[in-house]
Amino acid sequence: MAAVTLSNVVKRFGVYEVVHGASIDVRDGEFVVFVGPSGCGKSTLLRMIAGLEDISGGEIAIGGKVVNDVEPADRGIAMVFQSYALYPHMTVEQNLSFGLRMNGNPKADTDRRVGRAAEILRITELMQRRPKQLSGGQRQRVAIGRAIVREPQVFLFDEPLSNLDAELRVQMRVEISRLHKELGVTMIYVTHDQTEAMTLADRIVVLNAGHIEQIGAPLDLYDDPANRFVAGFVGSPKMNFMAAKVVGIESGAATVELANHRGARLRKPLSQAPPAVGSDVVLGIRPEHFFDAGRGDCDISVKADVAEHLGSVSYVYADAGDEELIIEREASRQRASGDHITVSIKAERSLLFDTSGGRIR
Amino acid sequence: MRTQNATAYRFLAPYLLIFSIFWVWPIISSFLISFQATRTVPWRFAPTFNWGRLIGDPAFFNALENTLLILVIQVPVMISLAIVMAVLLNSPLLKARGLYRFAFFAPVVVGEVAYSAVFRLMFNLDFGIVNKLLNSVGLPKIDWFSNVTPAMAVIMIAVTWRWAGYNAIILLAGLQSIPDDVYEAATLDRVSKVKQFFYITLPLLKPVIVFCAVLSIIGTMQLFTEPFLITERGGPGGGTETLGLLLYRQGFRSLNFGYASAIAYTMAGLAIAITLVQLWLTRDPK
Repeated sequence: MAAVTLSNVVKRFGVYEVVHGASIDVRDGEFVVFVGPSGCGKSTLLRMIAGLEDISGGEIAIGGKVVNDVEPADRGIAMVFQSYALYPHMTVEQNLSFGLRMNGNPKADTDRRVGRAAEILRITELMQRRPKQLSGGQRQRVAIGRAIVREPQVFLFDEPLSNLDAELRVQMRVEISRLHKELGVTMIYVTHDQTEAMTLADRIVVLNAGHIEQIGAPLDLYDDPANRFVAGFVGSPKMNFMAAKVVGIESGAATVELANHRGARLRKPLSQAPPAVGSDVVLGIRPEHFFDAGRGDCDISVKADVAEHLGSVSYVYADAGDEELIIEREASRQRASGDHITVSIKAERSLLFDTSGGRIR
Repeated sequence: MRTQNATAYRFLAPYLLIFSIFWVWPIISSFLISFQATRTVPWRFAPTFNWGRLIGDPAFFNALENTLLILVIQVPVMISLAIVMAVLLNSPLLKARGLYRFAFFAPVVVGEVAYSAVFRLMFNLDFGIVNKLLNSVGLPKIDWFSNVTPAMAVIMIAVTWRWAGYNAIILLAGLQSIPDDVYEAATLDRVSKVKQFFYITLPLLKPVIVFCAVLSIIGTMQLFTEPFLITERGGPGGGTETLGLLLYRQGFRSLNFGYASAIAYTMAGLAIAITLVQLWLTRDPK
């Protein structure tokens, strides 16, 4: 087991800088998820930790030892690839033992490690099969098994579940979580799926365009995002953003008027200095934080376009001026298309952002 | 559906007709000719005349031996060389990759007669660059075309020069289809580059290597231009005569079409047999 420390890590491909000084402290035994949209630099960061990409600047330390110039095999890490990267011409058993055999590891120890990995991942009966004879989930298990036999200090996962179907993804997510508890080692996991991040992580690192936007526990990011990007990225369906204007300031609170809902005003208590009267702001409200009319601080009326009925809840996609809102309602089998519905919002369940995306607390 | 098929066949008819006359019929006809004595007028049906001669003909066995010798030495050397070339071409360290790819492929585009003439000059006893190079490092001149072994070597070198690059380009396509992350996984497993080559690259490249080998075997079984032009009709004294050349000599010099047909079918049969054996030896384990 080992802590992983990234200090001001930079990655450049030619003249293009894709990671701009990332600093992250992954504690010993922690499960940290790097999450962000495609091209945000999360996989590059993981590959730099693995040693598969050079580091253009900064420092990476594993277990207190700087590894910038250490060979990938000597970093004490094991990596699970998105495409599994199994050796197609070898059986499962050969895939698991290949690295150990090539390095002259004693056969008894190799057999013990392979047997243990197969047991943990319940793939003992698949040992003589080749990768093409396995399902996607089984291949992923073998890929994880190959990482386990290395007995690494740190596990790195690069979008390991993105090639699996939805049901299998949920199942493997639970297995990876179980594995982390069982092995107790540090794990760093890259995904673009915020649900995976929320369910697996002790802490999440949200990346955007090579910058770290926020690091925190899943529910902290959900409840208290640092900016509009994090607020929009964490949570599914994503947070609604409504244009608003500050129309009044009192002691410790700002009154905002929603631009697309004439006369709808909300008094929002603030701990920081409020923005000036007349300034444009953005009000963020999660789909699940709309209440029945009259139950909140301010009612708005919208025209429902489409309703998705998921059984336990329904999502109403509503048109409000040039904004589209997603509103979570209790399960309803009524057709909502074209209906006007009135919902209520609460100041305490809303977030305020300035127009550049920064949070106004 | 039936009407549609009929329309399609009407469109195909001109091609099928020409294909049948100039392709299918000669194949059948030559098979039938191989059972006829064609040195008499008119030809007469004599099932064992050509095939019987084949079994006891020293010229045939000489040509067969020469062809198989070239096959056994030249094909493995060329494929090995092509693999090395493909790996070098695939290296991220290589600059001007396109130029090398073109240079390796270029020999295939060069006319057979032109390249044969150049090889004759290069290996010329008195003026050839090869002997000059040998002299310059203190080695004696070699009379490449008067002795069988050096003449055979020249043919093998020439064929290798012409086809190694072609095979390298096919192998390069195979190499590029092996995903990078398999090598990255091996790197993380502390498997050296050399071991990666033998334990990952070669096994994964096997289907492409087999494909190249089959093409080369078929090509070598039909080898004609090089012994005809470089070593002057299989010289010295038939020492480099191949089956292709014997076929030509029997069919078009002696006008013995029956015997030439029997040789042609033997060549095709051998190519198929060797290819099948090779496919069987290199099959994937169940």
